[in-house]
Amino acid sequence: MKKVILIADDSPTIRKFVSFSLKMQGLEVITASDGMEAVEKLPLYNFDLFITDLNMPNMDGFQLIKVIRENPDYSDTPIIILSSLAGSEDIEKGMSCGANSYLVKPFDPKRIQYEVAKYLS
Amino acid sequence: MKTAPNNLSEIFEKLQDLKEIFKFGEKIVPILQSLIEFMKDVVPLLENINTSIAESTNKMPAAFNQINNVTSATEMATTEIMDRVDNITNSLGEIQKSLSNISSKSKAKTEIVLQLADFLADNSAAKELLSKFHEYDDIDPQIDKVNEKISEVNNDGYQIMLALQVQDITSQQLTAVNHLIESVNDKLASLVDDIHEANLDNEVHKLEAPEGATFDPNARFDRDENRQINVDNIIDEHKNKITSQDEIDKLFSGE
Repeated sequence: MKKVILIADDSPTIRKFVSFSLKMQGLEVITASDGMEAVEKLPLYNFDLFITDLNMPNMDGFQLIKVIRENPDYSDTPIIILSSLAGSEDIEKGMSCGANSYLVKPFDPKRIQYEVAKYLS
Repeated sequence: MKTAPNNLSEIFEKLQDLKEIFKFGEKIVPILQSLIEFMKDVVPLLENINTSIAESTNKMPAAFNQINNVTSATEMATTEIMDRVDNITNSLGEIQKSLSNISSKSKAKTEIVLQLADFLADNSAAKELLSKFHEYDDIDPQIDKVNEKISEVNNDGYQIMLALQVQDITSQQLTAVNHLIESVNDKLASLVDDIHEANLDNEVHKLEAPEGATFDPNARFDRDENRQINVDNIIDEHKNKITSQDEIDKLFSGE
């Protein structure tokens, strides 16, 4: 059975690129254009991993991570932050919210494939 | 009750004051005249500034909208290119599967022909046909070459996708520029409000950013690995901090 990943990013370019990179690994990818849409999709699938941007309209990545962590079904599900924010404050805040990894944009798809494989293997 | 000499002395005092005022007036008149001259020069200058503000503010919505249009157009074009690359990659995957199928069928065919050749070992015509058959034995190396080319095209597609990440970064940078234009426009709007009170006619249009536009003003297209290495180092430090705190908590709880 295919593992299902949710990507939350307001940039269609990034959503497409991450999907492209992960589909090559045989994963099923569901996308959301902001945190709110991601939250709406939480009960619709059994997600094995989340990838989220931080700067998003309606609900940002920090809030999304908190909502995911408060959901008993996803309290331990790996979360990877994918953001252009590379300041130590943002990184520490993201990790404190409950993220497992932090990748900076522009990212190397091999690295994201590695991170995903690390958590899903 | 005041006496007559007292009244007179008061009148003289007042006259003296009046004289002082006239003297002061004589001094201040040239200053007032130069102030009036200055105002005569300043008013056209203010009108000039007002016109410049009007021209600038009229151009701002156009610049703002143009930037939004550029962002939307590049986003659409980038998405389209990505879709095409995705399609190409999928098609190449199918071609590779077909080639693999062809290769295995070809091997099976060769196996059958070679078995058949054993039965016809004494037949000279069959021998001749068999030698001709072997002339076409290079099919597998050719399939390997095609597979190599497919891998190259796949890799190029991958590199194109990788490079197209620039769109996300430039879009954030352009949104940051629009945010600056918006701020300048707001400042000009308040300035123009003040000028309105001075009866100078002008109007600034409020700029409206597209709904839900978010951006990182420091976003940059930098594929230097050191950025990720720095992030990894910060995460390591963060994890160490957490570990240390856990250890401290354990010590205090007596575990």
